[in-house]
Amino acid sequence: MTAPLLRARGLRAAYTGQRGADIVAVDGVDLELPAGQVLGIAGESGCGKSTLAAVLSLTARPPLSVLDGELTVDGDRLDLSGDRPPPRTWRGSVVSLLPQGAMNSLSPTTRIGDLAVDVIRAHRGRTRRTDALDRLADRLDALDLPRRVVDSYPHQLSGGMRQRVVTVLSTLLDPRLLIADEPTSALDVSTQRQLTELLRELLHRGLVGGIVFVTHDLPVLRAVADRIAIMYAGRLVEVGDTAGLIDDPRHPYTAALLASVLVPEPAIRTRRIGGIAGAPPDLSAPPAGCRFHPRCSLATDVCTRQEPPALGTVADRYATCWWRADHPDEDLEARL
Amino acid sequence: MNLPRYLGRKAAWYLGALLVAILLNFLLPRLIPGNPVDTIVSSMSRGGVEGSQLRAIHAHYVHEFGLDKPLWQQFVLYLGHLAHGDLGVSFAQSPATVQDLIGQALPWSIALQLPAILIGWLVGNGLGAVAAYRGGWLDRGAFLGSLFTSSMPYYCVAILLLYLLAVVVPVLPPSGGYSFGNTPELSPAFVSDALTHYWLPFLSLVVVFVGGQAVGMRSMAVYELGSDYVNYDRGLGLRDRTIVRYIFRNAMLPQVTGLALSIGTLVGGALITEIVFSYPGVGTLLFTAISQNDYPVVTGLTLLIAVAVLVANFCVEVAYGVIDPRIRAANRGER
Amino acid sequence: MGTARFTGRFWLAAGIVAAVLLFGLVAPLVFRGHQVGAVVGGLYDHPSSRAWLGTDNLGHDVFTNLMYGTRTSLVIGLVAGAIATGIGVVLGTLAGYRGGAVEEGLMGFTNVILAIPSIVVLVLISIALGTRSTVTLAVVLAVTSWPWTARAVRAQAASVRAREHLDVARLSGAGTASLICYDVVPYMLSYICMAFVLQVSGAVLNEAALSMLGLGPSGGVSLGIMLHWALAWESVRTGAWWAFVPPTVLLTLLAFALLMLQSSLDEVFNPRLRRYRRRRTAAPPVALPDERPVAEGAAE
Repeated sequence: MTAPLLRARGLRAAYTGQRGADIVAVDGVDLELPAGQVLGIAGESGCGKSTLAAVLSLTARPPLSVLDGELTVDGDRLDLSGDRPPPRTWRGSVVSLLPQGAMNSLSPTTRIGDLAVDVIRAHRGRTRRTDALDRLADRLDALDLPRRVVDSYPHQLSGGMRQRVVTVLSTLLDPRLLIADEPTSALDVSTQRQLTELLRELLHRGLVGGIVFVTHDLPVLRAVADRIAIMYAGRLVEVGDTAGLIDDPRHPYTAALLASVLVPEPAIRTRRIGGIAGAPPDLSAPPAGCRFHPRCSLATDVCTRQEPPALGTVADRYATCWWRADHPDEDLEARL
Repeated sequence: MNLPRYLGRKAAWYLGALLVAILLNFLLPRLIPGNPVDTIVSSMSRGGVEGSQLRAIHAHYVHEFGLDKPLWQQFVLYLGHLAHGDLGVSFAQSPATVQDLIGQALPWSIALQLPAILIGWLVGNGLGAVAAYRGGWLDRGAFLGSLFTSSMPYYCVAILLLYLLAVVVPVLPPSGGYSFGNTPELSPAFVSDALTHYWLPFLSLVVVFVGGQAVGMRSMAVYELGSDYVNYDRGLGLRDRTIVRYIFRNAMLPQVTGLALSIGTLVGGALITEIVFSYPGVGTLLFTAISQNDYPVVTGLTLLIAVAVLVANFCVEVAYGVIDPRIRAANRGER
Repeated sequence: MGTARFTGRFWLAAGIVAAVLLFGLVAPLVFRGHQVGAVVGGLYDHPSSRAWLGTDNLGHDVFTNLMYGTRTSLVIGLVAGAIATGIGVVLGTLAGYRGGAVEEGLMGFTNVILAIPSIVVLVLISIALGTRSTVTLAVVLAVTSWPWTARAVRAQAASVRAREHLDVARLSGAGTASLICYDVVPYMLSYICMAFVLQVSGAVLNEAALSMLGLGPSGGVSLGIMLHWALAWESVRTGAWWAFVPPTVLLTLLAFALLMLQSSLDEVFNPRLRRYRRRRTAAPPVALPDERPVAEGAAE
């Protein structure tokens, strides 16, 4: 069995609170992703998935700080727990961020071509300007984007175009791991489709080794992700391959999320749509025991006192739930 | 491209502002109750000016001001004189014309301020950008230090420097543009003498200006630091100094504006500093003119200052339209 | 506004301002024995037990002058600041809230006044006035400095106008005046505070500048006038530091404290300007590692 592309262990990150109390937004997350696949990370707003994206892409900045963790990408190991900042060259060429809101991610007074030249030079040393621009032009051609983009300022491009340009820039150096932070959230459905096609194309051509796709939008993940990890209150509650997770959720929260999604498919139309009662917990004082227990219809006494056991591994199928520990084969959807 | 229309609109507006400035310059001194010439002449007689000269001045000015004519006719006269570059004759130092006096003082002021502004701008902005990006102690120290020197009124800096460097430790000469008894000429001896007199006023201006620029730039840069593009550029692995360059460029636009405007205020920018050092520039001229009630000189100077500022503002607006791609795009009707 | 966090800088600035206010406004009542204009010694006497800060060119006690001078400068600053802020807020809110022709007209007017350098107008008006009382001077100062506040307030008001809570209030039948008072202005209060602080500081400094040009309040004492006399009577050259150092120090303190107050208020109201302390135990991503110099000079 080949080593996974991404192996993350014990990621912890917190926001420095205003009154001294820290808010731990990512609390002990482990991840694994084989090469050539897309790992989706889904959850409600405030579950910590954007923080996780920042940690993985090495772009955490004050007031967010990484407390602990270990990242292994394509065999290269990085310890995140010390004081030393991560090596600059990792960013962009080992892990790369595809940011939320590409609209504002481009400096308004820099042309796209100039930015690309600076990016290439930051990693490859002295490179001739024409060589760098050629590389950009090749990428644009390969991914079906117009060449005029090279000389444009950001404000001269449409929103969808900007998102795709940012995708090209983030993958210019053939990063091993691309972290896409809510890339489709600000887009209309057809542009979303274009973007997910583009990402698939990049993966297919080997221009990126693997993609971590963070979103709150489960249906998009269904279309684009090979594996899905569900996050709640800073922790992973379930991980698994897409088909398996959607057909047979192992955690009550996953099942509830699936049930609250509006998807125009025949089988789902017969199901009742339910929301999930309650709201995500305040991370400065999370609930004792299982963090989901205040909103879980299957919660028992032990859920309020002890943290649930880990069932399975993040590399394969994983869930952490007391009920599931007692009922390993029961169908969740019927119970909700 | 709508640049010609943009320029045309701006030019028209500035001409209007210029007209208002001239109008103010004309009207305000004439709001003095009573006949201004009488007041001035009588105060001059107290100052010991001879009777025959007084009569000549009085007649000259009644004619010049056209005080027997209606106000609008006086204004037309005034405009006519302006068109010829004639700002009148000084009361206190007649027969010297206002133009002559200003012409003698202006080069000194420009020579003092232009280098101070340019150097102060470069050093100050550099300091501000570095402090903002580095953060930590450098930032806090530089910020407070700059805030202190920039909020200190520049004339206070001037006075303190004068005291410290010319009296307590007599390193530099305390006043004047050149040593007493010398006459201005382009000889090496004179130039070096003038330079020693130059340092104190120059330093006092630079210190405050650097502080002001550093504070402004640092605030702009800190604001830019929080923006998404900085985060993304870091995510792409760009070198810190490249990112600083981008921040600089975005934070720079208002600073360039500031620079151009400062150059515009060259003429009236260091009035008090010059007074403190008795530097033979526009400031001392104004001070003397005010104390002598020399209205032509005062109004001539105020008009010059106003015109310089308006011209500078206009140039800045033109340059902005040409440089900033966003403004150009807005004019072209793009998003 | 939520949890407004007042930093150490804020308290320092507020403390200095309060101290100066106390000195200028309250101290003259405390030190009743000191009369302005009383001759207590000769020309430029050194500081002594009789005259704590020495005497000036007319034999007056410098300490007394300092107290009353601070008072005059403060009064002028506060009055001018209040008037200028008032005019600016009224015109700016009107322009921003109304929009359309009203906004165009008011802003055009404001821009013209803004374009003409204030020192020019100040000198012209001051020289036109025979005698300048404290209040007149404050009014003159206010009249030349309100434009920038009006511009900024207009921008704020225009953005508030677009917010939904205004639609709700309008639908419930509130009149324009009530809308402005209860729905628009409260959102701009933070900015109005900062603008007022800046106006006061500007007015104090402008008054000092005018006084040093010889156009200060007639017959009174102000910090600027003290400096004017100090310069005119060669106190710097003769080393009589007590004549110019105290007013200089006070002016600087006041200006510095007011500016620092404004910038720390800015930090309170605008979170993006806040700098955070880096945690000791975690990686600091923003700072350069110490071994790399800042300007390497190598071309990209």
